[in-house]
Amino acid sequence: MDYNLTTEEELIKKVAKEFSESVIAPLQEEIHANNEVPGEVLEGMAELGLFGINAPEDLGGGGASFVSFVSAIEEIAVVSAGVGMIMSVNNMGHTLINFLGNDEQRKKYIPKLVAGEELASFAFTEPSTGSDPKQLQVTAVEDGDFFVLNGTKRFITNSNLKGPMIIVAKEESSSPMSGKATAFVIDKHCEGYSLSEPWDKVGVHGGPLFDVYLKDVRIPKENMLGDSGNGMYVLKMTMVFAKVGVCGICLGVARAAYEEAVAYAKEKTHRGEAIIKKFEHVRMALTEMEMIYNRAKWVTYHYAWALDGNIGDPFVLAKLAAQAKVEASEAAVDIVRKAMGVLGSYGCVSDYKLSRLWGDAIVGPQVEGCAATLKVMAGNISYLA
Amino acid sequence: MKTLNYVVAMKQVPDLQQLRIRDKKPVLTDIPLELGKIDKNALECAVNLKEQHDGEVILVSVGNDDLPETLKDGLACGADRAKFIADNRVDNLQSAQKAELLAKLIEGLDDVSLIFFAEGSADNYSGQVGSRVAEILGYPQVGYASEVKIQGETAIITRALENSYEDIEVALPAVVIVVQDLNKPRLPSVIQILKAGKKPQERIDLADSSYEAAELTVCYENLAPDTDRKMQELSCSSDLIEVLKDLGVLER
Ligand SMILES: Cc1cc2nc3c(=O)[nH]c(=O)nc-3n(C[C@H](O)[C@H](O)[C@H](O)COP(=O)(O)OP(=O)(O)OC[C@H]3O[C@@H](n4cnc5c(N)ncnc54)[C@H](O)[C@@H]3O)c2cc1C
Repeated sequence: MDYNLTTEEELIKKVAKEFSESVIAPLQEEIHANNEVPGEVLEGMAELGLFGINAPEDLGGGGASFVSFVSAIEEIAVVSAGVGMIMSVNNMGHTLINFLGNDEQRKKYIPKLVAGEELASFAFTEPSTGSDPKQLQVTAVEDGDFFVLNGTKRFITNSNLKGPMIIVAKEESSSPMSGKATAFVIDKHCEGYSLSEPWDKVGVHGGPLFDVYLKDVRIPKENMLGDSGNGMYVLKMTMVFAKVGVCGICLGVARAAYEEAVAYAKEKTHRGEAIIKKFEHVRMALTEMEMIYNRAKWVTYHYAWALDGNIGDPFVLAKLAAQAKVEASEAAVDIVRKAMGVLGSYGCVSDYKLSRLWGDAIVGPQVEGCAATLKVMAGNISYLA
Repeated sequence: MKTLNYVVAMKQVPDLQQLRIRDKKPVLTDIPLELGKIDKNALECAVNLKEQHDGEVILVSVGNDDLPETLKDGLACGADRAKFIADNRVDNLQSAQKAELLAKLIEGLDDVSLIFFAEGSADNYSGQVGSRVAEILGYPQVGYASEVKIQGETAIITRALENSYEDIEVALPAVVIVVQDLNKPRLPSVIQILKAGKKPQERIDLADSSYEAAELTVCYENLAPDTDRKMQELSCSSDLIEVLKDLGVLER
């Protein structure tokens, strides 16, 4: 099996890395403090085509692989998980519209999303549930040629940014708990759309997170994404295609923590000798971090490789996605924890980036399906079929 | 007036960020190759001139079998096509021999205005190749170029000297050897990267270049000199002043 990146994949990864280091890194403290990504970062990414790496060429995307996308988002997230989050959710948006939408919807939304003129959101979570379509309470009531949407979506990334939002709602004609959840595309900031104050989260600063209030939002019927009652299917496809972004973010956070620990161990001395030379346990901790990172990396890259047309069965893909998400998100937490052991108290103060990485890492296992749900799902696919 | 073309000589060098050092020697096994950093400045300069005056940007290069892949970066960064010799035997050639091969590649190109070189490469930094090619082709050469403008049939080139700048007007075609400060190369977009592989690449056989390898120089060792540092621990700035006085660096 060949795990080497192609020349093009290497170059895309390099561009993401250079952009991250030269443009995002000098602004990282500002992003963290203000919990907001400056426009110049998003504009720069748009110019380089980083929002549409794996989108179809005929719709303005790069037409590159998912492997390319994951390696690029990892480089962005090494510097800023928040910027990675914006990129990941936008990618989830255009990938889902491409997969589930009709031609008209593809042409209407995808070119602007890959050009970064607009940035997508995906709204599933509600105050009552983050993973169960049967418990959804946002309603979509049929009214002639329209649907009228009402309710609250919780924790929605990119919801303050201009662009389309894929939203899963319960078709009102369906009885409670009937499970007739359906996906729609709405334009953010349309009439009846409003936002809460931003959530003040522990990490992933810059990744915009709000609750979305929908009050009599009227959308034409052609805004239905896929078939009526396909909510569960949409969720499964989100599972298949969309975990790759969050996996890449977790790898980036993990690598940033590992690199900071190595740099610190080379710099910090004990009685005149760098601790990386002096203490075997420091070298052991760094090796353990490297092992955890490599494990998560190869599971993630294997999943991305599978998405590049190498595995066709959506159930196998969903299982790989779930496993990669659990591995990558737990790897980030474990590596940051071990890095704390190398930095000691310096890891706890904001002068060192590790303190921020701790906040970033702990978000990973909670978003886009918690570890328990993902493992249960993977187990069901393997053993209950 | 006919449109003029810009030639940029770009060299394959190991990615220094990935280099491992063992027993004071670089381990080159499995280290990916990339285009030289200052070569990218030269390319950026040529692409800027092309954007102002039209014409084509042509890469020339002599490298190993992987060269067509390495050159994709240059093609993504704005070059229109490439002409090269890719042969693993050239890894053993010296600067003088590479200059001869590059000159042969350039001789076959039409309407050349400026031929760009970097002041040195990341691996050897011999800094000879540009000047040698200029001599072989019989073109004027301008080194330490920090700004390049085309004015009619000539180029106005600013040279960055130690304490001053010097403007030189030179007839075309000419060889320009650039310094890193002359610009900040732009990053290629994803789409430019993916299209790079589709740009024309003309491969010349080492045998066709009627070149006979001759061993002109032999490199026995290439190491930085050992430095014996004092590593003296000081507790305050007045101690430092005392030490510097003792060394005669500061006057008493
Ligand atoms: C930074 C950030 C960004 C986010 N962005 C978005 C976004 O853009 N769009 C969006 O829709 N959401 C988003 N979310 C929400 C996030 O995806 C959900 O919170 C997450 O999926 C979990 O949902 P929940 O919190 O409602 O937990 P629930 O799904 O209600 O689960 C709570 C707990 O119950 C248990 N549990 C529940 N169901 C199962 C099950 N089937 N099997 C086993 N155990 C189970 C688990 O222990 C779980 O931890 C974001 C969250 C954060 C923090």
